[in-house]
Amino acid sequence: MKYNRTELSGNIGFTSVIDEKFKTANITVRFMTKLSKENASANVIGTDVLTYSTRNLPTLSKLNEELSALYGASLASFSVKKGDVQILGVTSSCILNRYAIDGEDVEGKVLSILMDSIFNPNADDGKFDEESFNITKRELLDRIDAEINNKRGYALSRASEIAFRGEPAEFTVYGNRETAEAVTSESAYSAYINILRTAPIEITYVAPEENPSVMEMFRKNFAEIERVPETVDFISASPVKPEVITESEEFDVRQCKMVMTFKTHSDNKYALKMLDTIWGETPVSKLFINVREKLSLCYYCATRTNSYKYSISVDVGVERANIEKAKAEILHQLDEIRNGNITDEEISNARLSMDNAFSSIGDTPASYSSWYFDCLCNGEIITPQEKFQKYAEVTKEDIIDSAKALRLDSVYIMYDKE
Amino acid sequence: MEKKILTSQQTGDKCIYLKHKSGLDIYICEMEGFSSVEALFGTKYGSVNTMFKMRDDKEYTVVPEGIAHFLEHKLFENEDCDVFELYAKTGANGNAYTSFDRTCYLFSCSKNYQESLKILLDFVQKPYFTKENVDKEQGIIGQEIQMTNDNPNWRVFFNMLRCMYHNHPVKIDIAGTIESIAQIDADLLYKCYNTFYNLNNMVLSIAGNIKADEVLAICDEYLKPCEDKGLETVFPDEPDSIVQSEIYETQPVGTPIFHIGYKCTPCDRQERLTKNIALSIASALITDASSNMYQELLKEGVINSSFGSEVFCGDGYFSVIFSGESVDTKKVRDSIIAEIKRLSAEGIAEKDFQRIKKSMYGALIRQLNNVEVVASMMLGAYMAEVSPYDIIDTVSGMTSDTVMKYINSDLNENKLVMSVIEGTDND
Repeated sequence: MKYNRTELSGNIGFTSVIDEKFKTANITVRFMTKLSKENASANVIGTDVLTYSTRNLPTLSKLNEELSALYGASLASFSVKKGDVQILGVTSSCILNRYAIDGEDVEGKVLSILMDSIFNPNADDGKFDEESFNITKRELLDRIDAEINNKRGYALSRASEIAFRGEPAEFTVYGNRETAEAVTSESAYSAYINILRTAPIEITYVAPEENPSVMEMFRKNFAEIERVPETVDFISASPVKPEVITESEEFDVRQCKMVMTFKTHSDNKYALKMLDTIWGETPVSKLFINVREKLSLCYYCATRTNSYKYSISVDVGVERANIEKAKAEILHQLDEIRNGNITDEEISNARLSMDNAFSSIGDTPASYSSWYFDCLCNGEIITPQEKFQKYAEVTKEDIIDSAKALRLDSVYIMYDKE
Repeated sequence: MEKKILTSQQTGDKCIYLKHKSGLDIYICEMEGFSSVEALFGTKYGSVNTMFKMRDDKEYTVVPEGIAHFLEHKLFENEDCDVFELYAKTGANGNAYTSFDRTCYLFSCSKNYQESLKILLDFVQKPYFTKENVDKEQGIIGQEIQMTNDNPNWRVFFNMLRCMYHNHPVKIDIAGTIESIAQIDADLLYKCYNTFYNLNNMVLSIAGNIKADEVLAICDEYLKPCEDKGLETVFPDEPDSIVQSEIYETQPVGTPIFHIGYKCTPCDRQERLTKNIALSIASALITDASSNMYQELLKEGVINSSFGSEVFCGDGYFSVIFSGESVDTKKVRDSIIAEIKRLSAEGIAEKDFQRIKKSMYGALIRQLNNVEVVASMMLGAYMAEVSPYDIIDTVSGMTSDTVMKYINSDLNENKLVMSVIEGTDND
């Protein structure tokens, strides 16, 4: 594998990962901007519309025809939240020319479509093509409405809103129905132009062979944009509320959901992740063994770390009569760790689990792309092996200290209707 | 135990197949340059296998709904410890799943794969069921059932199957119901285990950073020879007709969710694969974003990008399903019927056919990039009784005439059902 990162110009990075085992060429462009209620929906629509049509392929029908003829090449937009930052992007993937039955230049044509989508969008007079915009906006509204379809995901999202109230991270990456309704074709276009001008940008190219034209095309196209890049802060610890807040809703469901959010001011992120793994991330964790296996209270009870906000959330699907019992056991297991009841085996198992996970990075193009991007978000470019070493250096005392520093901040409960 | 090298004519990809002396079928794919390993140890035993007998049995045994899935949960508990504890010592990520026609135990890892493989082969061959550990599992699986009951995408699918099938057990929920799993005890679990977990009914599929000789040495050491006892599974007679054409349920959802399905004639092996690909192309032509129907419905706001299709098939069942979200599900259904009539009358445009075929071929090439997918592909081929690379060759050789043949024979309006989940008041 060959890794190389080049700074194209102010705050535009180009990362190339060449690994000959792959059969595809993959490009991801990520724009980073501070998450805000005002701009979230316009930013999402402004980037989603790029993959609906381009100036040269001005309808979804034409764009789709071209991509499917290129062996089902993909061109997709995405939007995710990391801490207080909204990450928007466009990604393309296609098979290598050597696999094309008819000898077409698949890679060249897909690269050209990707460039068009970003630098030559289907827009005139300061607004996007009307049909492309209207359909993209409706897609976002449907996506926002459909959040409730996934009850576990909805509960986690509501818990995040409660835990990070007053901070950018309280908003979902899409905004809400009200903010999405308010977006116009003009405001979406303006949001996209603003992103192109101001957002820090990271591009990754993952393929089995070098293709210098990819970087050169990005360099040339970005050179024509007057950039005034802003900075974004990924790491932003969230303050613990003075009193634990509990909020709930009632739905027509058969199983209740509870999400408990814990926060810390300790900045030892490696100890926090080790704590998370031992407490509730794996099938040998304390929560899995006790809440699920010993007490038979649930099918899932798991922790997850938000390393950007220095928080851990615990979520469980449980019947109404067992909510308090589950909550008590979750807290009891945290106390067990605080009291030093962790075995050397538990620590060793957590390290082994991480070692295995880190060692498989690079087995898919997406894992390379995510790894190097996450490194940038965390402010240090290191190899998976170097990162594992940092976890290996975490001691039992560090984990206990991390558990002691953790405070329950807020609780969200989705009740069934009695 | 003769090793066969299976090769894709299109891509040159290779894997090893052999029938082990224990009775087990083994597929191995050494993938150079990859770090991870994916191993699946599976049995042809899923939620549809509720009625069976061995060659020497006089009567068929009928078991409660959800027992294959229950057995999967319980096999993770050894006499001495939980299997997850064993995997924790190697760092592997162990898991299992039960579907309609199979139960699979798997691990993924990037280190110590040989130790993890020993754990996998060992625990699946060592059942340990007691009254206490069976009773304990009722609560956990009960919560899993409630969780899936709250999943509208799951409900809309099973409601559709219940509209489609009179008797075939594909219509029952994989995990069963709270009532059906209450009938499960240790004796019944042993009965099912001893019937279906015979190595002659099982497969090992392993791909990634491995060496075939190392894998086979472990297999020789850990696999216990099994006598083929002539397993027979049967399914109740299933009429060609559907049960009912529509079903509606309310749940907290955003835009209503729909599944519209054609009940088709079931078939086996290569014919099933050919029909699967032919009708996948036919349905992709309808849900393709460039089709006139898609464009019209999208512009009118009747569908969104969730509109898609799939072929769902196995022993004794075959259907083509269109799914998505819509504010006007009847209009979607009518449009699909009209589009299929049009295709039937006018035929398929060769240009569109070639485009969709190329797209499907490209998707298969991309899958060969992935260790997990390669292991699943080899296991899926065993379950479908075809060769792993047959799918690539079948796609390459597909013609529009074959697609038309299956459109005309299998997409019949009289066998169309629609399942819808609509929103409740409080969403």
